[in-house]
Amino acid sequence: MTSTASALQLARAARPLLGLLALLVVWQYGAALAHVPGYILPLPSEIAARFWQTRAVQLHHLSVTALSTLIGLAAALAFGVLLALLVVYLPVLKAIVMPVLAAFNSIPKIAVAPLFIIWFGLGIESKVVLAFLLGLFPVFVNSVTGLGEIEADVLDLSRLAGGTQLRIFVKVRLMNALPYITDALKVAFPLALVGSIVGEFIGGNSGVGYLILSAQFNLDTPLVFATLVSITLFTTLGIGVVALVEHAFLKWRPSRRRR
Amino acid sequence: MTTVTSSRRPAVAIEGLYKSFDTGTAVEDLSFEVGDKEFVSLVGPSGCGKSTLLRLVSGLIAPTRGTVRVRDKEVRGPLAGVGMVFQAPVLLPWRTTLANVLFTAEMRGERAERYRARANELIRLAGLEGFEERLPHELSGGMQQRVAICRALLLNPSLLLMDEPFGALDIITRERMGFELQKIWSATRNTVLFVTHSITEAVLLSDTVVVMSARPGRLKAVIAVDLPRPREVTTLSDPRFVALAARVRDNIEARWVE
Repeated sequence: MTSTASALQLARAARPLLGLLALLVVWQYGAALAHVPGYILPLPSEIAARFWQTRAVQLHHLSVTALSTLIGLAAALAFGVLLALLVVYLPVLKAIVMPVLAAFNSIPKIAVAPLFIIWFGLGIESKVVLAFLLGLFPVFVNSVTGLGEIEADVLDLSRLAGGTQLRIFVKVRLMNALPYITDALKVAFPLALVGSIVGEFIGGNSGVGYLILSAQFNLDTPLVFATLVSITLFTTLGIGVVALVEHAFLKWRPSRRRR
Repeated sequence: MTTVTSSRRPAVAIEGLYKSFDTGTAVEDLSFEVGDKEFVSLVGPSGCGKSTLLRLVSGLIAPTRGTVRVRDKEVRGPLAGVGMVFQAPVLLPWRTTLANVLFTAEMRGERAERYRARANELIRLAGLEGFEERLPHELSGGMQQRVAICRALLLNPSLLLMDEPFGALDIITRERMGFELQKIWSATRNTVLFVTHSITEAVLLSDTVVVMSARPGRLKAVIAVDLPRPREVTTLSDPRFVALAARVRDNIEARWVE
């Protein structure tokens, strides 16, 4: 590869960062020029300094939130796929389960979060339940599509080759559902995080939700923003892991094909 | 009714077959036989129930009346171990050429490794050498269909059902695929029931051409094709070939005029 080509590639990779950089520059100098008080909108440099100052605290609270989020997400994944399996293999259930779940999904879970604190206490359990409930629906809906929407010809072919339901499930349905499930995870992961954070807002003494709330009480706006940075780093990492899985296993997807 | 002449016991015996759907009768009083290792084509106008007939033979759907027997056993459900090729290749998009060919073995519950040599042999026979590790979207339509044919032949099925396998291909590719199929078939010698719209294709490939009437599909004529094999491009201009094609055409069009 020539040096100009590699430079070009580097520039292309850096492109998404350029917008962010521009925003930070405008923010830093614009806010200073407009004399916006720090407790309303702190400067990026102040946020960065506070972030570094509080890094140990950030890490502690983030790990608490990450744990409840990931447990909730894992449960949503397992339960969502399992529920989808029932619906796909027992079509009778579809007419029963789908409306109940859709109705349930239309309840704003955030509004009933206080109830979960009453039921499951101030500890991690209430956060896990909230994360689970928020992550469940996208996983379930996408799994139903992924496991169920198989071309009739493919199923006929599999049966005529002697395929049992189990083999068809493992080698056809599950493989077909994988990209649907990774897509669902990209949606469910931030949702589960919302569940955890809302739980921490309402009750408890740890987690990034708690950290933001206590920073707000002290009017420590830079710490609020610093915590938002932590959360953003965490979601980016999570989505990145899903993207890596896709890159490794789902090269065949239309969106990933090389032209 | 008419039977296809065969020296051995028939591979497929169809007797008094009726199939009706809510939309009407698709197949009516159909009876014929397919001899062992015979290549039989079904031709007829669109919607004459050719595809329905293939689905009946494979056991994917049940007849309203009448019976289908494959190797003396009445078909009462999906036959396991029948090779099937559809108009679309229906390859699994996440599997490479080799893995797609091996799919039928895996569905039967066999270890794929045991069939690797056979798969490679079929891939070579189909002219797909060098494309073993490609994904379907990296192959042309004709190549994808050849993969589908290899997949259907992997377990050396006693019966191969082909439902307009070249129907979605352009005319040049289609003609070449016909000769490819003849080459593969000459090497494997499976019993084939081949549905097509193309009279040329039917006469070129078959030992016997079964002509069906427009819907509801009835048996119109059974025409034996006694041209020597291998048939080549020159066969297409052979007077005997032309005469046979004309006979098939007459039988299809006679119905249209009625």
